[in-house]
This record gives sequence, structure tokens and C-alpha cells, in this order.
Amino acid sequence: MTTDPPPANPAPVRRPTRLVLVGLALVLAVVAAACGGGESSKDDTPATVGPAISQGQLPTFDPGTTITVVTHDSFAVSEDVLTQFTDATNVEVRLVPSGDAVAAVNKAILTAGDPEGDVLFGIDENLLASAFAADLFVPYEARGLSTVPEQYQVDPEHRVTPIDHGDVCINYDRTWFREKDLEVPTSFEDLLDPELKGKLVVEDPSSSTPGLAFLLATVAAQGGGDDDSSSAAWLQYWQKLKDNGVKVVDGWETAYNVDFSGSAGKGDRPLVVSYASSPPVEVTDPSTPPEDAPTGVLADTCYRQTEFAGILRGAGKAEAAGAFIEFMLSLPFQEDMPEQMYVYPVNSQAVLPEAWERYTTPVEDPLALPFEEVGARREAWIQQWAGLFR
Amino acid sequence: MTTAPQPRRWWRAALAVPPVAFLLVFFVWPVAAILLKGLRPDGAWDLSALGDVLTDPVIRRVAWFTLWQAVLSTALCVVAGLPGAALFARFRFAGKRFLWAALLVPFVLPTVVVGVALLGVIGPNGVSGVDLSGTLWAVLVAHVFFNYAVVVRTVGGAWSTVDPRLEEAARTLGASPWRAFREVTWPLLRPAVAAASSIVFLFTFTSFGVVLVVGGVRQRTLEVEIYDQTARFLHLDVAAALALVQLVVVVAALAWFGRTQRRRAVVLDQRPAAEVARRPRGWRERAFVGTNLLFMAALLGVPLAVLVVRSFDAPAGWGTGNYQALDTARRGSTSFVPPVEAITNSLLFALAATVVAVVLGGCAAWAVAGSGREPSPRWARWTDTALMVPLGTSAVTVGFGMFVAFGDPPLELRSSVWLVPLAHAVVAIPFVIRLLVPALRSIDPQLREAAGVLGASPWRVWREVDLPVVSRALAAAAGFAFAVSLGEFGATVFLARPERPTLPVAIYRFLGQPGPLNFGQAMALSVVLMALTVIVIMAIDRLRPIGSAEF
Repeated sequence: MTTDPPPANPAPVRRPTRLVLVGLALVLAVVAAACGGGESSKDDTPATVGPAISQGQLPTFDPGTTITVVTHDSFAVSEDVLTQFTDATNVEVRLVPSGDAVAAVNKAILTAGDPEGDVLFGIDENLLASAFAADLFVPYEARGLSTVPEQYQVDPEHRVTPIDHGDVCINYDRTWFREKDLEVPTSFEDLLDPELKGKLVVEDPSSSTPGLAFLLATVAAQGGGDDDSSSAAWLQYWQKLKDNGVKVVDGWETAYNVDFSGSAGKGDRPLVVSYASSPPVEVTDPSTPPEDAPTGVLADTCYRQTEFAGILRGAGKAEAAGAFIEFMLSLPFQEDMPEQMYVYPVNSQAVLPEAWERYTTPVEDPLALPFEEVGARREAWIQQWAGLFR
Repeated sequence: MTTAPQPRRWWRAALAVPPVAFLLVFFVWPVAAILLKGLRPDGAWDLSALGDVLTDPVIRRVAWFTLWQAVLSTALCVVAGLPGAALFARFRFAGKRFLWAALLVPFVLPTVVVGVALLGVIGPNGVSGVDLSGTLWAVLVAHVFFNYAVVVRTVGGAWSTVDPRLEEAARTLGASPWRAFREVTWPLLRPAVAAASSIVFLFTFTSFGVVLVVGGVRQRTLEVEIYDQTARFLHLDVAAALALVQLVVVVAALAWFGRTQRRRAVVLDQRPAAEVARRPRGWRERAFVGTNLLFMAALLGVPLAVLVVRSFDAPAGWGTGNYQALDTARRGSTSFVPPVEAITNSLLFALAATVVAVVLGGCAAWAVAGSGREPSPRWARWTDTALMVPLGTSAVTVGFGMFVAFGDPPLELRSSVWLVPLAHAVVAIPFVIRLLVPALRSIDPQLREAAGVLGASPWRVWREVDLPVVSRALAAAAGFAFAVSLGEFGATVFLARPERPTLPVAIYRFLGQPGPLNFGQAMALSVVLMALTVIVIMAIDRLRPIGSAEF
């Protein structure tokens, strides 16, 4: 067997191109045959969906009905609670975790009109404006809203329904402050104390949901949100935070698990941007008195973060989706949420778990901004912030 | 049997068809779909974003930083990895097989876990006492931590088939050890070094997660910008423009690496690895082995030990509490993943991805490598480059692209579990090609010719000449493919697969929640993932064609 050097012949070069095309066609044909039969049900959604509950009962559907609920990755519910819904309505629920809240909503916007699921759960105020601009949701006015305080019902058109809230607050490491014999700060101004230099870790508002909420908290507290210049009041506050050694990391996981001294990661900073609901989870011994819990919350830094659910436009099963939204507002689901997702129920009749009653401080009047303003200004604020920190 | 070159080339071209078709469907199409959504928003071209991006000074700075940190990281990885490669190629020592497999552990760990491990050493309150978090140094250390295995396993594999008598002959003729290495061994290793460098360069050029975690807000790569513009702000036009910039650099770099590799391929008289490696003799060799092992302990051992220690730090005190909780703590919740199920899912996905990658990558490698005597035709070189591009493409572009492209018939794969191993395979195929091609090119064509003259069919020549000689590279390639998939690389984090959560998915669920038990369980599950990796990679490394000597 001998091999000569190849002749200078351009002809063989063309052959692979044809082969590639034939091969591609074959692959396409096989795959198309393998996954044919996909059902498509588009544009049969009514403009609005009527109330799914009649006389306090969830409606029933044909057995075998399945709805798909697109969620963020932190979604969780007890199996037996979910089973209650299926038992009452015959509707099976398929959960599709779809990244963090921002990624989940943006993927929904990318596929607007041809959604991946019937219900989207986990959209927060900061994302409402862009979701509404993309016309993601079919309005649905839930009966269950009668139990939900006005402050959470931000959309008069009911394109989205509030389900839970989990305020973003600065958490502190109680042991650290005791050992140093320092006063626990209470206000934004206290964070600028030279004694607390290099003691706060926050998340990048462009990549992290709690990071963005904390930026919004400073805008709401310090003002200057309509000021595009570098002398905006809230931005000057950040300048002072920077001068006092604030550390910015990519996300909550790093801030809380690596840098925060009050968590299992045992970092070196006793102040972290986290949630109002974080402290009860740090308590490992239930006999600990509340004043000795390992971590606590600076209530005056809390920013309201409500999570909503909506019926995705273009999904085939809007009625069953409406029933699921009613179910999410009902007591079984609402009382299950705290221990599953570390969030507060919006249903005012829901009873909190004992540990929550004991170790969380109710935030009476958290900071908040109208979602329309956040939608219009969010990117500009992040740009301004980035100008200071990058 | 005909021996004219024409039919042989035809076969080689035919071999290239399946991998190229696969690339077109699972890479080119989704990437084109998302880029077009950005650049042709309403059916008409709008390239204004491209102009804006190219003239934006911030983007230029980011692009420049991305490039030079990648070059620097690649150089550091090669410098750090070459002694390790020599160690594994030339010496036998206790625990060698274990260590060879354990090198891949950083590859499979979720980014945040790597962050916890590395920052446990060089972060706040780290055991080294130096806090590098948020600096360029942390990014470089992380890149070496990740890619050390690429250099050691790629170059070490090639080195172990180089006949040590070549260097010994040079020494006998009076060359210093350095000169013998530089003038004899180094030229023989260059193709493998170029292969490893090209992979490391692509990885570090498109580095994302680890840059965010250890680099903080200052160290931003193009990949981070693309992620922000795509997944955060949904500015698909800007994201597409950035992705094109990234693509141009990647293709240029690949073309350069490709030329380097072709020019320097040397045909070798290969030796079985067992003949090459021996126990260290004399204090110099012992010191070399010892220093190498110390370096590996510092680079890989200490950060990974941080994870192991923390996995035993349970809320109720030291012990296996976190491990026991894995199967009990969240039972009854939809977010509960039974550990055995997560392990099974991870293994099945990785197995499927490895099989696809090895088969398709193998086809491509044999097509591209040629017979050793004739230079590769141009189509083969372009195929080679094209199949490498996925490694250097933004994961968020591919992930969102798949999401857009596979939502409708004919390929309605968006919510299919099959999309996950296929997406893994897209990233794993380049490893298979890069490891196999230098090995194939180093086969002396006379071996094949001799077998043919003695009457062996082409199939038998392939089975008894090619396969045994490249089996080591093949096992290493399969190991990388497996690790890439086990570690949930890149694009797949954007693909939903609700019914089949894997180990990394379960780890992320724990890390996303506060409380010492969640953290402890994340650490425990990471240790499980580490152990699983070592076991499986050791098993893959032992796979050899039956009856062949180990090359």
C-alpha cells in the first residue's frame, strides 16, 4: 500500500460539500421523524380569563390535563400540597425551573406568543415593565386577591397576581457585633461609620436580583433617581460606601456563603445584603432565644420585593392556569411557601411557621419604588453605578 | 484492494460528514438563530449595534483585557503544566493513577463551588492568609486551577509515547539536560502543547463564571458582557455584535494554532507507556517528583481539601450530618433530589455525551489527521477549525440560541432531555479531536503500509495499528468529554430539564438557599461529585482495546 502526494486537483474539494448537505438532510429527516407529533396550540387564548373559582371551589378539568409552570430555580413546594391541587382539579402540574428570575422572564420574552409553559411564576416588580411591554400575560383577576393587602396589588389590569414577598435587607452577624462591642447599625448613614470600614458586602446590581434591590433601596432612601449625572444623591451615597470599603461580588451565593461572617462559609464581613427571611434558617437550635439568633436584619434598609405569577399568552390551557393561580393564593400553598422558598405569604390569613414568628422581624414599611419608574430607569441606574465601580 | 489516493480521500471526506452535520444542526443553526434575532430584528438588517460596539471605548477595553488575560493564562498554564506532564510521562510513583484522574476534578465542580474552594484559600479569611479576591491574580490562579489538567493530560499523554532513548542518546553525546529537552523532546511535544494551548486559550478567552466569582466586578471579559446583554438586558443586537467580535478572535486564534500544529507534526517511533515510565532514581529525580507533587497539592489539593473539610462541618457538629441530610432534609418537596437519582442522571447524561463526542470526534479526527504522509487538504483543515469553534463561543449565545432555534418543528427539542447531552457533546467534540489528531499524525505511515503489504484489510489496519497507538489519547479524550458533561458545561445551564436534575443542578439548589444545613449539603454533594469523577475517570483510563499493549 503506497500513498502518493495528492495531485493538484480541485475536484475532490467539492465532493464533501455535497456529502455534508446529504448528511445534514438525513440527520434532519431522522430527527424530525423522531420528534414529530408535537402539538401546537397557539392563539386560542381568550383575551382575558374568567374567574376559575366558583363558590370557593376550584373547577375540575378532564383527567389527564397537564399544565406547565415555568419558574425560577428557587421555586419549591411540598409534594403533598401540589397533590391537593391535582386531587381537586384533575390537573397535573409540570414544573420547569428556568434559571434565575431575570433569565426566566427574558426567556419568556424571547418566546412570547409561543411560550414554554402556561404559567410563569417568580417575576418581581423590577421585571414587570419589560414583561408588560412584550405583552407576555393574559389578564386574570383572581378571586383569591380578596385576601391580599392592597400594597401588593400593583397591576390594576391584573396581568400578574402577587404570590409572595421576600424583602431584601442588610443582614448582620450578631456574634461579631457582640465581640467587638459595637452598636448594630440601623440606618443607611450608620453604614458609613469608620468603625464599619470594609465590613459590608453587596451584590452586583447588574447580575444579581438582591443586588439590584439594594441599589433600588438606596435610590428610594437617598433620592436623586431622576438625576442622570454623577452627582445624583443616591450615587453620592454609593461613593461614600465605596470610600468605606464596600465589597461588591457577583451574586448572593458568593456574598452570603463566602464573604459573610454570619453564615457557614465564615467570611470576614459581618454585614451582607440578603433577605428578611434569612435569619430563621441560620438558627440550628430551636431553643435559642430570638435575641441570641446568629443573624439579624437591619429593618430600615429593607426593600420590598414581591413575586408574581401570570398566565402566559399563547398557552393552550389558560383556564387550568387560572385555577393554579387561585391555588397559589390559597392557604395550603401560602402557608407552605415560607419553609420551602424562604418567602413571606401575601395572603393575610396565612399563619407563619413558629420559627419565623420567633426569629424574623416584620418589616412594616419597606422601601419601594413604582414598577413603572424602575422599568424606565433601571438600566440607566445600573450604568451610573457601573461608572463608579468598574 | 486499491491503494490509489483518490478513494482513500473519499473515505476521509465521508468520515467528516457526520460531525459536520452535527455541528451545523446543534451549533451553527442555534447560534445563527440568536445572532439573526439581534442583527435582523424585523426582517431587515440592522448593523448599527455592530458599529456602536466596535467604537465603544469600554468594550474595546474589555476586549483587550479578555485577549491578554487569556494569552497570559494560557502561557501560565503551559508553564505550570509541563513539569506535571513530564512527571506523569516519565515516572512511576504511588497513587499515579488516582492523581491522573483527580486532575480533572476542578473541571466538574460548579463554578460557585470552585469559588468557595479557591476563595477558601486565597479569599477573605482564606487559609493562605492572602486575600486576592477581586483581583487579576485571583482570575489567573483560577484559570490555572481549571486548566492545569488540560495541559498535563494532553501533553503528558503525548510525552509518554516518546522514546526516552532519544533524549538519553543526546545526553550521551554530551548535551546538557536542558539542551536535550529543548532540541530533542520539545520538538516532538510541540503538536500536543499546541493542542493543549488552543483548548486553554479558548476556555480562558470565553471564561465567565469563575471570572465573576473570583474576579468581582472589575475583571470583566467579553463573555461577561455578552451574558449581561443577553440574559440580563435582552439587548440582542449588542449581544450579537459582541458575539461576532468574540467569534472573529476565536477563528483567527484557531487558524494560527492550526498552522502551528500542522507545521510541527513529527512522525514518531512510539513506545508503549509502560516502557517509558520508571521509578525515580537519584536525588535529582526524587526532588523533581517531590516538587511536582507539592505543587499539585498546593494548587489542587488545598482548595479541594477546603471543600472536604467543610462537608463534614455539619450544623450539629463535626461528622457525616450533611451527607445524611442529603437523603432526608428536603424530602417531600418538589425541589428534593434523591442523591442516587442525581448521580444516575449525571452519569447517564455524561455517558450519552461521551459516546456521541467520541464517535463524532473520532470520525472527525481520522478525517482531519490524514495518513501522515500527505498534507491535509484544505477542506480538512477548515473542518478541523470549524469543529473547535464551539469551545470558543459564548455559552449564553449557544444556550439562548438553542432555546430559540429548537422551539418549533422540525426540531422541537426545547424541552427534550436529549438536548442536554447533545449540547454537552458539542463542547466535548473539540477535546476528542485535539487529543486524537496529534496522536494520529505521529503514527509512522510505514506501519500502516507494512500491515497493508502483509495483507491486512483497512479495517484491520485501523484496529491493530491506529487504535492501539492512539488508545491512550482516546481514553484521555473520553475522560475530558465525560468531565465536560458531568460538570454541566456552559450552554446547558440555560436548558431546562426539570425531570432529570443532575448533581450540579442539585448543588446549585442548595447554594441558592441560606442556612448552614444547605451550605453543608452543597459541600457534601460536591465531594460526592468529586469522588464520582475520580472513580469514573480511573475506569475510563483503564479502558484499552483488548490484547493491545498500553501506549
